[in-house]
Amino acid sequence: MLEAEFERRLERLFADAPELPDATAFAARVDRKLDRGWMARRWLIGAAGGAGGVIGASQLMMTNIFTRVEDASESARVITSSLGQVRSSPDWMSAMTGGGSVVWVASGLAILAMAFALRRVIEEI
Amino acid sequence: MPGATKSSPASLHDVELCALAAAGQRQAFGELVRRHGSAVRGLLRRMGAQPAEADDVAQDAFLTAFERIAEFRGEGAFAGWVKRIAARAYLRRLQKERRIGALAAESVEEEERAPAGDSDGRIDLDEALKGLSPAERLCVSMCFGAGLSHAEAAEALNLPLGTVKSHVKRGLEKLRARLAPAEGAVLEGRRGNA
Repeated sequence: MLEAEFERRLERLFADAPELPDATAFAARVDRKLDRGWMARRWLIGAAGGAGGVIGASQLMMTNIFTRVEDASESARVITSSLGQVRSSPDWMSAMTGGGSVVWVASGLAILAMAFALRRVIEEI
Repeated sequence: MPGATKSSPASLHDVELCALAAAGQRQAFGELVRRHGSAVRGLLRRMGAQPAEADDVAQDAFLTAFERIAEFRGEGAFAGWVKRIAARAYLRRLQKERRIGALAAESVEEEERAPAGDSDGRIDLDEALKGLSPAERLCVSMCFGAGLSHAEAAEALNLPLGTVKSHVKRGLEKLRARLAPAEGAVLEGRRGNA
């Protein structure tokens, strides 16, 4: 018999593996292991995402607050002098149209992150 | 009902199941494990692993395959891909436990043991492999069972290429001597049993 022919036959013999009697039990064990790993990973990703979102959003908000405080102290005189010229609209309206928009975006992000984390928790339960 | 047939993992091709598994469908991967679990465990046993050890390594190999399923492009068979992962994992285990050297140095009488045939004089591959030295068995199984090239096997075994080629050559000679007279009967027997 030619060497190549024997080698091909050997490959076929190797490929022709008999079905083991506990094949289903083995597949179930692999399934369970995957389940455990998958569950742990989902929790980890969900928790990390939620925590990261909250931290990021709070950092944005805090940074903005400090900036605004500094700006306010520096320009207090200007604000006082021009108070009479300011229209009667409340301060929060101007905050929305100026630098205050960052606060709203950050708050939105935080809410989104919390909603995402909450959804993952509900899914897991 | 065509819709039901299409959605059943059992009716899908391996490549389709891999694509579904890559998209996160665990059920599809479960079907792949059911299809090829025995083949992977069988290969590890043929490489010389004890059944419990073979099962452990095969489990880890399937977990690794799931992690890396996106890397599988369907260029070869899924079973071959997992077998290569499993074979390499088994070798890593052997190296970690420093058993590779011991295997290579095992006694010659193990090699000379006559394989047992059944009542018709048929010898199956598992019996024939028992007539090989552990190193020959490992090298032959890696090259012909897991589909590794000699160079890949040498790299995985951390052995010189020439040594691996010698092991394979000697292993093939022994297998040919044991299988050649009866291999037609073996194949007929398998077909008859199917």
